[in-house]
Amino acid sequence: MRTNRLLPLAAAAALLLSACGGGESVDTGGGGGGSGGEGGTLVAAVAAQPDQLDPHQTTAYPSFQVLENVYDTLVVPNAEDLTMEPSLAESWETSEDGLTWTFTLREGVTFHDGSEFDSADVVYSYRRIIDEELQNSYRFATVTGVEAPDPRTVVLTLSQPTPNLLERIGAFKGMAILPENAAEDIDLVTEANGTGPFRLESSDASSTVLTAYEDHWGGAPSVGGVEFRYITEPAAALTALQNGEVQWTDNVPPQQIESLADDDSVELQTTPSVDYWYLSMNYARPPFDNRDVRRAISLAVDREAVAEAAWFGAAQANQTAIPEDSFFHLDYAPFERDVDQARQLLSQAGVQTPLTMGLMVTDEFPETVTAAQVIASQLEEIGVTVEIETLDFATWLDRQGQGDFDAFYLGWLGNLDPAAYYQEQHQTDGPNNYQGYSNPQVDQLLQQGAVETDEDARKQLYDQAAQIIVDDVSYLYLYNPDVVQAWAPGLQGYRIRADKAIDFATVELP
Amino acid sequence: MSVVVFALVQLVPGDPIRLALGTRFDQETYDALLARSGLDQPLVQQYLTWAGRAVTGDLGVSFRSGETVTSLIAERLPATLTLALASILVALLIAVPLGTISALRPRSLVDRVATVLSQIGISVPEFWMAIVLILVFAGTLGWLPSGGYVGLTEDPAGWAQRLLLPAVVTGVVSGSVITRFVRSSVLEALGADHVRTAQAKGLPRRQVFTWHVLRNALLPLVTVTGVQLAYLLSGVVVVEIVFSWPGLGQLALQAVQARDYPVLQGAILLFAVTFLVINLVVDLLYTAIDPRIRR
Repeated sequence: MRTNRLLPLAAAAALLLSACGGGESVDTGGGGGGSGGEGGTLVAAVAAQPDQLDPHQTTAYPSFQVLENVYDTLVVPNAEDLTMEPSLAESWETSEDGLTWTFTLREGVTFHDGSEFDSADVVYSYRRIIDEELQNSYRFATVTGVEAPDPRTVVLTLSQPTPNLLERIGAFKGMAILPENAAEDIDLVTEANGTGPFRLESSDASSTVLTAYEDHWGGAPSVGGVEFRYITEPAAALTALQNGEVQWTDNVPPQQIESLADDDSVELQTTPSVDYWYLSMNYARPPFDNRDVRRAISLAVDREAVAEAAWFGAAQANQTAIPEDSFFHLDYAPFERDVDQARQLLSQAGVQTPLTMGLMVTDEFPETVTAAQVIASQLEEIGVTVEIETLDFATWLDRQGQGDFDAFYLGWLGNLDPAAYYQEQHQTDGPNNYQGYSNPQVDQLLQQGAVETDEDARKQLYDQAAQIIVDDVSYLYLYNPDVVQAWAPGLQGYRIRADKAIDFATVELP
Repeated sequence: MSVVVFALVQLVPGDPIRLALGTRFDQETYDALLARSGLDQPLVQQYLTWAGRAVTGDLGVSFRSGETVTSLIAERLPATLTLALASILVALLIAVPLGTISALRPRSLVDRVATVLSQIGISVPEFWMAIVLILVFAGTLGWLPSGGYVGLTEDPAGWAQRLLLPAVVTGVVSGSVITRFVRSSVLEALGADHVRTAQAKGLPRRQVFTWHVLRNALLPLVTVTGVQLAYLLSGVVVVEIVFSWPGLGQLALQAVQARDYPVLQGAILLFAVTFLVINLVVDLLYTAIDPRIRR
């Protein structure tokens, strides 16, 4: 007990010290560090700690914020329009029948430990995902072979033409290339050895620190390092940005987006994201199996108001899934809010009002809890009483999996290819078709889209499928939220991206 | 106790594997992860494996992060200890003078003000107080960092600066509770027979107060301080989140959200043990303070 008794004393002394030194400037920990480059350390405030750092195993966004800067993939989404461009693969060719893809790898790429990158690393990484049935193995569903005929060539053989193969292997760092035998050589959960612009220095319960990798194939980063500091409370993150403790954050209080737009102390940018949020009704629970009932509900929802309630204007109402900026966007909005017509549809369907509908939301996404109340008040007007059930995410997922719901409200994040937007959610017995939708015509269109290699023809197929999905209200699409990020004025070389990838390779401090 | 901990955690609905995988995965992936986590075993088997290892200090591996539970806890223990002890210090610095003064002058202006203050301290939400302090001291005045934690050995000044605000918030809350105990126990001691005897003997006021009143009033103070300390040591979730303080509360919260059974079981077990140890220490302190118990 003796040592314990001394601790409070030390604390008291320190408290006194700090109280006396109140006028001193705050030591932010930034600016000085960084072993590599001459540039200082960029301190970025992120909302949460990475759960783990194995790119093939994690599903958490905070992990990918870090891993984006540490690992590379064969191809990578372009910052501009998210089409796939070369990264570790310099070029690729597709065979006539579309079943063989040959990738030529970049030369002179090294891992952070100095070892050379070659095709064996690609084979190892892909085989690890496939053979150990890891999280992303579904992305290789059509891949039957991964071979390396020589050190600079990787050949993927497929069971059917896969037009979105590049998206499958490059959409995010979950498909990262690790050095051969990485899982045996290092503890991937806490250590990293990638080819990316930064190497992992340390990671603890307060922050994750990266240092510049001078020998990066794309050139050394301009900053000496990046510190990801976890600040969960948005108001605290914003304060830290404003008083210079951090230089970048994506944890901006949504209600302050508007007022920050004309605040000189902060540079705020937004861009529509590839995420979409929707309401889904259970086909196994009458009367929600009735198309007219679903259409009535879709007619009664004012998407603008819902988006406003959820994101304070930082979201675009959308009646389909894919946002405006995407090549695959479909301009289709058949549901103009019409209470009378909605009521009529309900009585036509022979539904007794008031009709009670449970709406499952999760506090994992607090904005949905608020927006659900707006939906409830809108549906009240057509005689549908919404009972909002706010659950924690684990329970929510359980009930979704068991089909124990009237309706739920959730989003799909980080989609790039239309197959990711529609296939698993709307195909009969699709793995994420929790609502139980089944339309042979849609099934056929989605199957054709999955193998159509001509871009324009492919878009047409998905456009047709999307129209039917919207008309049938398999999903009641609501909005695409904006990506919202803020940084210190004068920060250069950073680019906000629709896929929410955080790339600090070219960032320059003010 | 370990059975209760294990059962409590298993009772929480929700499937950790499903959560870990998010929403896009194959059934094969699910089965593979389930087998790796050991959750496909019967519950009794799972308990025996866990308890068997726990005895040797091995609390298993987190589902969520793949790190050992002991290392996750060890990583957060210093921050929690620091905040808990600093908070108790702040609490006592508030409670002992305030409680004593109010007891010495019951129903005076000082007493009434103290009562109102402690009522406010108990009722104001920690969350709100924390945000206001950040906005004022880190935002407007720019004197202190908005949060975070650094080790004492790494950067003593930064350590103290970051500790001050969270310690004040939790200290004010605990202090408000303790103030009331101090007041009532001092009042009670003041009215005790032996105090009147001491006064009648003509002992100086100061001597009566320190030796006869305070020493007796100390017993309940030790008890309630022990309880408050145990509570603080189990992590103060809200304050930790607002101040980005990497303590056990955050760890436990994340574990609940992710249904990370091994971490949750480890944390609860640690809290239970902490509580027992503090009770033991309080009992030992009793014997040190009160000669009657020693006999």
